[in-house]
Amino acid sequence: MTGGTLVYASGDAEPDCLDPHVGGNYPQALLSSQYLEPLVSRDADGAIIPWLAESWTTSEDGLTWDFTLRSDVTFTDGTAFDAAAVKANVEHLQNPETKSSTGYLAVGKVAAVEAVDATTARFTLSTPDSALLESLSQPWTAMESPTGLARGLDANCEAPVGTGPFVVDEWVKQDHVSLVRNDAYDSAPADSAHEGPAYLDSITWRFIPDSASRFAALQSGDVDIIDNAQPDTIVQAKDSKTIVDLDAPRPGASNRIELNAGQAPFDDAGVREAFVRSTDVNAGIESLFFGTAKRSYSPLSSAEATAYSDDSLFGYDLDAANELLDAAGWTTKDADGVRTKDGVRLTVRFPVSTNQSIPAEQSLFEQIQAGAGEAGFDVQLELLDLSSWYEALGTNAYEAVSAPYTKVGPDVLRVLYDSAGIVPAPSGYFANHAQLDDPALDDILTQASDTLDPDERAFLYEQAQQIILDGYYILPLYDQQNHFLLSTSLQGVRALPTVSTPVFADAWLVE
Amino acid sequence: MSGLAITPASERSGARIPTDRWRVAGFGIPEVLAGLVVLLLLGFAVAPQLFAPLSPTAVDPRIAFSSPSIQHWFGTDESGRDIWSRVVHGAATSLLIGTAATAIGLALGAILATAAAVGGRVVDFAVGRVLEVLFAFPGLLLALLVIVIAGPGPVTATIAVGLSTAPGYARLIRGQLIQVRSADYVESARVLGHGPARILVRHILPNAVAPLFVLATLGIGQAVVWASALSYLGLGAQPPAPEWGAMLAAARTYLATAWWLTAFPGLMIVATALSTTILGRGLQRRLREGTR
Amino acid sequence: MTAARPSTLGGRRLLGRIGARLAGAVFVLWAVVTVTFFAIRLIPGDPAQAYLGGPGSQASTEALERVRVEYGLDQPLLVQYASQLGRLAQGDLGVSASQRTPVTQILGEQLGGTLLLAVLALIVAWLLALGLTIWSTRGGRVSSAIGSGVELVAASLPQFWLGTVLISLFSTWLGWLPPVSTGGAAGLVLPVLTLAIPVAGFLAQVMREPLLDAQSAPFAVSAAARGETRTGMLLRHGLRHASVPAVNLSGWAFGYLISGAVVVETIFARPGLGRTLLQAVTVRDVPVVTGVVLVSALAYVIVLLIADAAAELLDPRDSRRRVTS
Repeated sequence: MTGGTLVYASGDAEPDCLDPHVGGNYPQALLSSQYLEPLVSRDADGAIIPWLAESWTTSEDGLTWDFTLRSDVTFTDGTAFDAAAVKANVEHLQNPETKSSTGYLAVGKVAAVEAVDATTARFTLSTPDSALLESLSQPWTAMESPTGLARGLDANCEAPVGTGPFVVDEWVKQDHVSLVRNDAYDSAPADSAHEGPAYLDSITWRFIPDSASRFAALQSGDVDIIDNAQPDTIVQAKDSKTIVDLDAPRPGASNRIELNAGQAPFDDAGVREAFVRSTDVNAGIESLFFGTAKRSYSPLSSAEATAYSDDSLFGYDLDAANELLDAAGWTTKDADGVRTKDGVRLTVRFPVSTNQSIPAEQSLFEQIQAGAGEAGFDVQLELLDLSSWYEALGTNAYEAVSAPYTKVGPDVLRVLYDSAGIVPAPSGYFANHAQLDDPALDDILTQASDTLDPDERAFLYEQAQQIILDGYYILPLYDQQNHFLLSTSLQGVRALPTVSTPVFADAWLVE
Repeated sequence: MSGLAITPASERSGARIPTDRWRVAGFGIPEVLAGLVVLLLLGFAVAPQLFAPLSPTAVDPRIAFSSPSIQHWFGTDESGRDIWSRVVHGAATSLLIGTAATAIGLALGAILATAAAVGGRVVDFAVGRVLEVLFAFPGLLLALLVIVIAGPGPVTATIAVGLSTAPGYARLIRGQLIQVRSADYVESARVLGHGPARILVRHILPNAVAPLFVLATLGIGQAVVWASALSYLGLGAQPPAPEWGAMLAAARTYLATAWWLTAFPGLMIVATALSTTILGRGLQRRLREGTR
Repeated sequence: MTAARPSTLGGRRLLGRIGARLAGAVFVLWAVVTVTFFAIRLIPGDPAQAYLGGPGSQASTEALERVRVEYGLDQPLLVQYASQLGRLAQGDLGVSASQRTPVTQILGEQLGGTLLLAVLALIVAWLLALGLTIWSTRGGRVSSAIGSGVELVAASLPQFWLGTVLISLFSTWLGWLPPVSTGGAAGLVLPVLTLAIPVAGFLAQVMREPLLDAQSAPFAVSAAARGETRTGMLLRHGLRHASVPAVNLSGWAFGYLISGAVVVETIFARPGLGRTLLQAVTVRDVPVVTGVVLVSALAYVIVLLIADAAAELLDPRDSRRRVTS
């Protein structure tokens, strides 16, 4: 059961930096889940459970959090894991030099961390944050050796030092990352299958961007597990005796099309509803995803216990769409069958990131384009690389967009739909792509963030989701798809219930 | 990318396609067939609805991934669109990309070459150096550089492919012009005291234009192939435009499960490249025999 | 050409020619640098933003200012140009915006893989082209027609499609070869073939006519009279003639292979310049894009010099007809 080298083939772009504090995207999370560990985790039911922190207490006003840390953990470079290390990590995340984005937002309300004693780290917040534990459970806020951090950003990017079951051994750019077993490992999370070091000797983490090649490599046995599996190959795997599917939808937001309510024509709720009603999305998802993706009617991922769905709003009804558009004043049609109003065409610019939308999703957008076209929308799909896509968003040159957002917990709603998210950062980036500007919603989201009462929090988030759904600001499609295909010779793999990254501490290779 | 490759082939080997025995108006059977294919493609481009009454963009998820049948000769794609219709309607876009890119390459090449042929030693030398520099940007690299600057898209891709073929054409045309310039009739015009501009317009250009046309037919297929490579890299034509390269690139993921999605657009690209090349060579051979 | 003594007239002329070629090569490199430098400045938006990975990078105002100072973007354009030339002369290509490592180091790590792929593909393309042309010109009308057809089809195959078909055939279906690079020699077979087949199509096209000419040339007739086999004659005389245009084409073929590497390295998940370039393009990593363009131009110039020399060796009479004119 012990030994062997696992070969992992990733379809994501190779990270620029192996330290997930820097930037902070999903490919970094996938890799760093193997060598870095956060303070807390989440179990399958959505409850926060201990990891590097054993327990925690909160002050009455919710502004002071005391974390009691495990005292028996050392980083793989020999540095002790203690309160000073926690302090160093939060400061690293908040240092502008680190250029952290995801982790920076996650600790945005942390004013200071104080090392009360070796095993007590005290977080002082600027405002109460009911999402703090969820934020700290993410790989983007995982703990790294302060000695490692002190080497400087570039050295740390090459080989971050953590407490996890594997250690970064070598990174051959554009080819692979080698991870070797941490023989001293003994800090598995509370829900792990076994304690102590991993069974595998090492992991070779390869980057195979072409989906057909990646699946061929799995079939031929050259790799043991692939990510970003395409729907047709998942179906093939289901028929096969040697490959299994691990379906691990990402937490946070569902995959949804956001309609830009900040400008015409989608500043009119009737036009938004008409767009949503004009397409038979279910039929498209069924045929393109071969039954591997379940339709969502919620702004949140089904991985979130607080997700609220309402399928009554999203039924396909072309006649209703036409009536709504007529009522909204888009009554004339030009030679191409596109509706016009005061000489303006009913145009929907829809930039699509080829890095974030798999081919099946791009095809689904084409079907939505065709469906909305029946109702008189001129949907202009634009396939863009990531920079151009961000540029289109930054210059407000879009009416519809699909932007995945992964975060543990329902607080993602605040990131995505609070009106504060409309104001672009100096770089031009903003998260509220629907440009939803509703003071009542802002108020609910702030209350939800402030309250530490789980029931009240769940109630408030349900209200928030109702406002988002009822206003037709979004067209939910499905959970953020996160399918892994594994060779049957690989056993004991599970996806962390936090951001659904697979981990291999309990995994072994048969034969 | 392409122009250069065709160069020596078109100069030399076309005549050896074994067409000597059976001829139609001086053309061999393969050339006649190629001509018919090109005519058909042009027909597709001009009046696609005559050949394919079904809409190329009509979506019907219920019949997605249907294999070729009587209703759908070439089957349907992942969104249930009729592939025969898409292939026929795609001819216009693909041929437009091919011809536009070739036209850009040829025009640039012709300007450089004419300048070199007319402008005397200094200009000729300068153009020679410019060409060397252009050659030093390998095709797709130049295209990617253009895309970094102008952003991806079908227009950028077309311009990029056109630019990268320009030096090859320029070199060929320059050779052609030099050949014509030293021809007897140009010499005699010069002796008669005609100015260089008049000689260029009256004598040199007419004799160099016909070979240009031949070059163009040779380049179109290659330009389509290269534009499709840019589509594959996610930097080319936009959906759901039924452009062959984009279709081929998009459907590649389904190669193992539904071969007809890639086979037919691929076949069209190969057929275009083949037929234009064969036809181009045939024309070239006739031209050469005519001038002899 | 045996080592001609520099004192002889011919040797001096040769040295002069080599000198002229080298000067030409340096000129080409300078021009490529200049064109790239000014072309990059055409990118709309803040160049400092581009250095930090485009508008999506969420760069702070301070970071932008730092980059401006670091890369001298606050200086007049000509000053920037001069300092870039100065840095390049010292072999400094700058630092990658996305990977934060020196570009020379990135290129150094990636160059080998691509060169190996390109050189192997060039050799295989040559062998395939030779095999095809010899086979088809030896036979009659039918094999000649088949040969021409195969050449044309091979030359018009899109590489991204060919690669996938080869994987389906040899990896998924037959199970003979690994679909992606596994570090071993077996992993090289499919990528090399994918690159080589279209190039072989082009090479075969230019080799066909000289081979045919050689068969009807007087020396071939006398060779046949001496009882030499046709294949032997073809190999001895025909190839020499056929090789000249093909060698002349090698500079172009090399550029084609570098272009093809972008696609092939993506499909077969091989490390190399092509994949580095593609990734740099998608994140607008300007220093890396510039670096790859420069290195491939340099490689092209070197290949051209070699091809020139080879063309002269093969056919000294033809030495004035240079590869580029």
